[in-house]
Amino acid sequence: MDKDSNKATFIFSSFMVVVIAILLSVTAISLAPYQEKNVRVEKMKNILSSVSIPTETSETEAAFNQYISKQIVLNNKGEQITGNVTAFDIDLKKELDKAKTGKTNEQLFPLFICTKDGKSFYIIPIRGKGLWGPIWGFISLESDKNTVYGVSFGHKSETPGLGAEIETEKFQQQFVGKKIFDDSGNFVSVTVIKGGAKPDDTHGVDAVSGATITSKGVSEMIKRTVNNYIPYFKKQGVVASTN
Amino acid sequence: MSKETIAVPAKPKKEKEPLFSPKNKRLLFDPLNDNNPITVQVLGICSALAVTVKMKPSIVMALAVMVVCAFSNVIISFIRNIIPNRIRIIVQLTVVAAMVIIVDQFLKAFVFDVSKQLSVFVGLIITNCIIMGRLEAFAMSNKPWPSFLDGMGNGFGYGLILVIVSMIRELFGSGELMGFRVIPESIYKMGYFNNSLVIMPPMALIIVGILIWIQRSRNKKLIESK
Amino acid sequence: MEHFNIFIKAVFIENMIFAYFLGMCSYLAISKTVKSAVGLGLAVTFVLTISVPVCYLLEKYVLKAGALQWLSDDYKSVDLSFLSFIMFIATIASIVQLVEMIVEKFAPALYTSLGIFLPLIAVNCSILGGALFMQEREYASLGEATVFALGSGVGWFLAIVALAAIREKLRYSNVPAPLRGLGITFILTGLMAIAFMSFMGISI
Repeated sequence: MDKDSNKATFIFSSFMVVVIAILLSVTAISLAPYQEKNVRVEKMKNILSSVSIPTETSETEAAFNQYISKQIVLNNKGEQITGNVTAFDIDLKKELDKAKTGKTNEQLFPLFICTKDGKSFYIIPIRGKGLWGPIWGFISLESDKNTVYGVSFGHKSETPGLGAEIETEKFQQQFVGKKIFDDSGNFVSVTVIKGGAKPDDTHGVDAVSGATITSKGVSEMIKRTVNNYIPYFKKQGVVASTN
Repeated sequence: MSKETIAVPAKPKKEKEPLFSPKNKRLLFDPLNDNNPITVQVLGICSALAVTVKMKPSIVMALAVMVVCAFSNVIISFIRNIIPNRIRIIVQLTVVAAMVIIVDQFLKAFVFDVSKQLSVFVGLIITNCIIMGRLEAFAMSNKPWPSFLDGMGNGFGYGLILVIVSMIRELFGSGELMGFRVIPESIYKMGYFNNSLVIMPPMALIIVGILIWIQRSRNKKLIESK
Repeated sequence: MEHFNIFIKAVFIENMIFAYFLGMCSYLAISKTVKSAVGLGLAVTFVLTISVPVCYLLEKYVLKAGALQWLSDDYKSVDLSFLSFIMFIATIASIVQLVEMIVEKFAPALYTSLGIFLPLIAVNCSILGGALFMQEREYASLGEATVFALGSGVGWFLAIVALAAIREKLRYSNVPAPLRGLGITFILTGLMAIAFMSFMGISI
């Protein structure tokens, strides 16, 4: 048969489509569990790293179950929601996007409570915009719901060496011990200050030099996202303490 | 830029030749220097440079391109006699795209952190001109084994440049190699700074330009006439 | 305003060539004269602006996890995103074919100027790159995706025409022999990219 005839072309292409479709579906379906696990483990790893529990990939899941004692879901009034949603499965991006369309009363906010060495810590997932794309992370507060215990940040496409520095230990370490409430109990968040924060500033950390937009994005992200949890913390009774 | 294409007879000889005959060796090693896909043939730069900030993603990228290039070459070479001429290009594209999807799925499953860094650039292997170029120029008219070698060779030559560029950029840009600190802390204390310009996209282009310069001043036959 | 911002970002800040090196192969090969550079630049802009929105619709209504829900609730959990590469490239290739036929029929003048470049574009990384960036950045609406595509195209056009103009002048200068042609073009592009870096961080 002539390979360039219409019939041959048609047979060839239908055959090829079938073969490739089967091949790809088989690969995708058989690898899907691994991929999903990677995504879950990565999230767990980030949550744990915000409370300074570094883990190896193989142990992450066990450590997560050991330390994270409670996961709760809040609405925008700070009330705890019971239902069939688990905090871990909430897609923060979708929840934050609801605010754009004015559906704030449908928003759900996940909160993780970690118990480590007999103390409990509140872990809040955060998300915002950097220079090139989204940035995200987790911020953990001590049981006074005021002092920052640790943070972990991630980013999609910030400039390596500049904006991407927010991922480094050096930058994240600065947040430890900062307060999110001022002395009179108002939420002021922690701000990244260009040119360097004063040594006695309990609400400011040094910006990454040369990465103004990313640094601003980090401040924005913490302020906007943590703000959603303030009603809940206020209800729980914040220790609006001085040092 | 095709003045250096390898002279391969359209119809390979009938008698059985050894697996690594001199001719086959040339297929494998020519792309490393004389016929390098990036610096001589100028193909496939598109997706190459954006991943060269660090060595690890570039090595993974290089391997991915090698795998895709070699295996799509083999597949096309196997079916070269039954591909209808009219839909040749789309058949090639489909085979490459399918290979890339498989590679991407594997990366996502087994080296998740690197696959995140490579983001869209894995997908862009599809339009990497090296692969399409080799399919059209070589695999369509040669047997599977030479095609496989040709694919490996070109993937390797491509990867070589990728790794060299990323080595320079990682060393000067972050003072590390493969994520390990190479430039000792004491030098930083003496006032040495990482050069953040090296990490920026423009420097990748300039480094490739300089590599071409070095290669051509050693290999005079590659110099372009005015 | 959001649209305008995306446009400016795509043209200057996230320029396809200078920030992501997409479409470099044809960028280097066709930038010898301004005339052909303009032709290719127009063709790329044209195809990008058509194919990215089509890929956006494809992504939104077919490929994304749960995208098939509009058919019936049974398909709620179907996730075809692993097929996106092959679907995008197939869409782009067929759009290029289609555009070629339509332009030939209705605008013969345009066809003669774009003609030889159109088939090349199917494998131009910037088109698939545009589609993949659209997917990764999750643009909120069809409008945003279109504006992004148009901006990327205009940015590409700008880059290739500027380079071609420089290369035309370069013929009269004395470049070291081993650097002639390709080498100097790479370095030139690098310098242009440094210039474009000064747009970084602009937000409107």
